[in-house]
Amino acid sequence: MSFDGYKDEINEGDTVILYLTITQVYSIKAQPKIVNKKGNEVENVFQTPYGALKCGELIGKSYGTKISLSKGWGYVLQPTPELWTITLPHRTQIIYTPDISMIILQLELCPGSMVIESGTGSGSLSHALIRAVKPHGHVYTFDFHEVRAKTATEEFKDHGLASYVTVGHRDVCEDGFGEHMTGKADAVFLDLPHPWLAIPHALTSIKTTGGRLCSFSPCIEQVQKSCLMLLKLGFQDIQTLEVLQTQYSVQQRSIPVINLDFVKAEKDGSEPEKKEREMMKTVTGLPPASSPGHTGYLTFATLPPVWCRSLQISLNEEDILTSVD
Amino acid sequence: MEIDSDMSNTIKVGDFVVVQRQGYTKLHKVKAHSRLILGSFNIEMDNVIGEKYYDTFQMKNMPGNRKLYTVEKVEQTNSAVESLSIEQSGADNRHIPNNAESQGLTKDDIDKLKDEELSSNIIVEQLISNSKTFSLRTGYSQEKYIKKKEKKYFEYIQIKKPSIRIMGQMFYRQDPTKTLGIRIDDLSQILTYANIHQEGNHLLYDSGTSGLMPAAITNSIGSQTTGCLIHMHPGNECQKNGFVAMQFPIEQAERCINVNLYSVLRCYYQQKDSFSDSSETKSDTNTDQNLENGAKNNEESEPTSKKARLEEPNQKKSWQLDNERACKILDQKVDSLIVTAKEHPVNIVKALLPFLRGNRSLVVFSLLKEPLQDLYFYLKSRVDIVSIKLSNNFMRDYQVLPDRTHPEVNMNYGGYILTGFKLIC
Ligand SMILES: C[S@@+](CC[C@H](N)C(=O)[O-])C[C@H]1O[C@@H](n2cnc3c(N)ncnc32)[C@H](O)[C@@H]1O
Repeated sequence: MSFDGYKDEINEGDTVILYLTITQVYSIKAQPKIVNKKGNEVENVFQTPYGALKCGELIGKSYGTKISLSKGWGYVLQPTPELWTITLPHRTQIIYTPDISMIILQLELCPGSMVIESGTGSGSLSHALIRAVKPHGHVYTFDFHEVRAKTATEEFKDHGLASYVTVGHRDVCEDGFGEHMTGKADAVFLDLPHPWLAIPHALTSIKTTGGRLCSFSPCIEQVQKSCLMLLKLGFQDIQTLEVLQTQYSVQQRSIPVINLDFVKAEKDGSEPEKKEREMMKTVTGLPPASSPGHTGYLTFATLPPVWCRSLQISLNEEDILTSVD
Repeated sequence: MEIDSDMSNTIKVGDFVVVQRQGYTKLHKVKAHSRLILGSFNIEMDNVIGEKYYDTFQMKNMPGNRKLYTVEKVEQTNSAVESLSIEQSGADNRHIPNNAESQGLTKDDIDKLKDEELSSNIIVEQLISNSKTFSLRTGYSQEKYIKKKEKKYFEYIQIKKPSIRIMGQMFYRQDPTKTLGIRIDDLSQILTYANIHQEGNHLLYDSGTSGLMPAAITNSIGSQTTGCLIHMHPGNECQKNGFVAMQFPIEQAERCINVNLYSVLRCYYQQKDSFSDSSETKSDTNTDQNLENGAKNNEESEPTSKKARLEEPNQKKSWQLDNERACKILDQKVDSLIVTAKEHPVNIVKALLPFLRGNRSLVVFSLLKEPLQDLYFYLKSRVDIVSIKLSNNFMRDYQVLPDRTHPEVNMNYGGYILTGFKLIC
């Protein structure tokens, strides 16, 4: 229950972020017991490289404080969508913060927005969507994988977010987002293998006053099909882009310096001895030796309000559609 | 057609609108009898009043004044590529001479055409029929030529409502220094890493992003919510363009408290009793904000606050009240600290970190990497900041067309973002 609003103290059942080092960050549950694979209740112990942590002992501690481990220490932080994204259990491929940030901004979400998402997957994006639209907005998220839909529902409840999100179990390409979503959404987000099949359903779900759409696709062929569909349906401002983040490791480096001045004069014994090499200090930010070079293409588009959709369709230079309501 | 019950989709006098002509956008305030200069066009905008957002208008020559254009709402437009019938095209460009004088029309001829009637169709048609090489070009190249010319003489504009997305992209495209070099991806990440949402008190120091940063944070805080923003700036008045263009409801706009950096900190450290609850009435402050920081008067002075300064000399001035409101919040500490500065960030962060609560995040943007490296070492030397990360983004746009998909030819470079979490020590 630690995702809704700022908290000072860890309560039983909270999801807590355990920060050890920049690359060792975990999410754990502040509860003394868990049920193991055999169905028995056992002590909830989390093994870290710096010793075991009895999770029950976190209850009552303050977020943002240091905790001791047998061979070191760590810090406990309250989860944010960003910390959750880097620590969540993967049930699918997930979307990461650089893309998520762009999605939220370009979908023009703010408190009060109604947003549709499909598929739910591991809920990485969903958490950020919920934060952006609460308290009076809502996220409607759909996945056709029954277990994923169910797990996500439980997870949102467990995180104290249930009132801001509704998980639907359905195939959105086949069946759309449902009658009850017609004309309801300010924004639609798609992370699907065949997004172009869901775009016509997005059209009916977006408010008559217009809205935004985003599709995330790893492959350019998916993007091409989606863009054609968007043009055909009268979307405008279609923009495809990619964002890649590089993290730098800031370091002070010592670099050997060679002095070559002495070569111009004859040897007179004042030459530097070979051993005592001069060093120069420099501060640098080093990119990682290798890092992901591609996540996915983000395609954004605006659905104009009903009063100018037909004009937009003709502007998009495509065949006039016969049945768009 | 839809009934616009609350008029929120109707273009009204006083509205800030974004005028778009093809890829080009400009912010405009709608007034009675206002004109807009859009590239080489001087446009009389009266006819947009009372129409709806997203409507498209055609620029038409004003009778009697050929340099002036008026606009007319349209339900249909003609695209040059569609309507022109191209009779002949070459298979490749082997027959096209390099430097040939290929266009028969002179600049004067074209201007005349444009003054008679602005119609990209007619002009492009004329250009084609007077081009000696057009028929030699490949179909692809013909289309490209038409698109290019059409763009130049395109006669349609569209009116949109300002949004953070539209303004962020517009300011950056017009001139990156308008936003201190903050590109749309940078902006998006500053907001997420700072965990800006509907609640909490947020602290921003911004040395000039045309009002984009405070507008974006206020937008994410939302209307009818509890969050609050203290916006510290270095000048007498803060830059406001982006903020006023958003036309937030008063209730929401008032939760962004604009204060001068020096003056609010002086108030905090030297006039504690002015904002601590016990002595509301006492005010013997003789600080003159204008003297405090002669450095810079950032554009866009706000007439209302000037007026407030003049009247009722015995009463506290509005900026003093704002300082006190801000100090009260600072006393309770804030839930995020964002610094988007031209200045070196270390001293600013040093001065503002004490106001940040533990278990909260800090986000600093700089166009340059080196000052953030300095900041990195400073933060490392403190023991209360963890997860210090320095990053930047590679971003590029794509042209997506059948058989012609490729990255856009031009790209640019954003700035650097440093993030970290403060601990409770
Ligand atoms: C890559 S995952 C989404 C990950 C998610 N964006 C995140 O950040 O955690 C794609 C999901 O879409 C679901 N899916 C695929 N096709 C679908 C369809 N036609 N209708 C509903 N869900 C679908 C899959 O079950 C899968 O869980």
